[in-house]
Amino acid sequence: MEVMSVSKLFSVLLIFSAFAASVIMSEASGAYGEDVVALAVEEAEAAVVSAYEAVLDAEQAGAKVSGLLARLNVAGEYLSDAHIQHRLGDFENATYFANLCDETAEEVRNEANELKNEAHGLRVTDLVVRMTGSIIGVVIIVFLSFLVWRAFRRRYHKRVLEMKPEVISGES
Amino acid sequence: MNLDEYRTLFVVATLVLSLIAASPALSVVVPFRSGSEEFSELWLLGPTHMAEGYPFGVTIGEKEQIFVGVGNHMGRSAYYVVYLKLRNQTQAAPDSATSTPSSLAPLYEFRTFVADGDIWESPVAFSFVEASGFGDLFTVKKMSVNDVVFPVDSISVWDSENNGFFYQLFFELWIYDEASMSFRYHDRFVGIWLNVTVS
Repeated sequence: MEVMSVSKLFSVLLIFSAFAASVIMSEASGAYGEDVVALAVEEAEAAVVSAYEAVLDAEQAGAKVSGLLARLNVAGEYLSDAHIQHRLGDFENATYFANLCDETAEEVRNEANELKNEAHGLRVTDLVVRMTGSIIGVVIIVFLSFLVWRAFRRRYHKRVLEMKPEVISGES
Repeated sequence: MNLDEYRTLFVVATLVLSLIAASPALSVVVPFRSGSEEFSELWLLGPTHMAEGYPFGVTIGEKEQIFVGVGNHMGRSAYYVVYLKLRNQTQAAPDSATSTPSSLAPLYEFRTFVADGDIWESPVAFSFVEASGFGDLFTVKKMSVNDVVFPVDSISVWDSENNGFFYQLFFELWIYDEASMSFRYHDRFVGIWLNVTVS
């Protein structure tokens, strides 16, 4: 009886472990399934585009983006590798490179946004300085011109008034 | 000169000086366009990094190296993809007249971000890893680009005029278009013809 129950228990355990193993195996293969990998590559691609647009915004705001472009190139290389491995059917490496790309692009995007905000602040300050400088400059020029014109006019009138008419006597 | 003429001269001089003084603010408000044409460059250089000595006669297993480069003159940073493709004499090449790329699938790709006025260059090491010839037909089965091996399965027919089995290794330039949020063919391609032999 006891031998029977032990063998039954062993059989149940064997079936259970076989079932568990098949579940684990299918999940493991599912982790690098084609759809999952395609989605990972697509997400990496979107992350790179988003980072690139953030860098463009920062550039338009007047920030220096050469450092960001260098790091974006690293993300681009990872994305190329992900695409190539995906085409070759190496889903594990494709996912690996897609994830690396995603992380790098995310970092670049965050830094680009920070740079954009900094550049925007500097641009506003620069705009205020330029506007104020220009207004003050124009006011000073107009005022000085008015003073110079008044002095010139006075001198001109004085010179005209001091002129003595010359009498040319006609001798015949 | 009478006084009225002097007055006009003073007004004009004041206006000119005022415009000069206001130019820092005007440069912000009024957009000054450079008027230069926006374009990109794509080039290939030989193994010595010069526009000479390009590989032509290639045997199976022999490693060759060239350089591909991109120049950006788009007025802003640009996002490019350079696709590497292989074709035989009869397969479709990019069409400059209609600005359409080749319909062939890319083997390899380079993604790069280039600042305005800047360039990007990369070495391209390639070799034909596996091929077979039978009569007038030659099949390249596998090709290696930058140490990645790709299945190719491209058949070339004997070219009796030029005596060889010819393949073209070419590069297409694509650019990311922010308006359409996708890549578009940038109407640039460069390539080299290769005469492939087994030994």
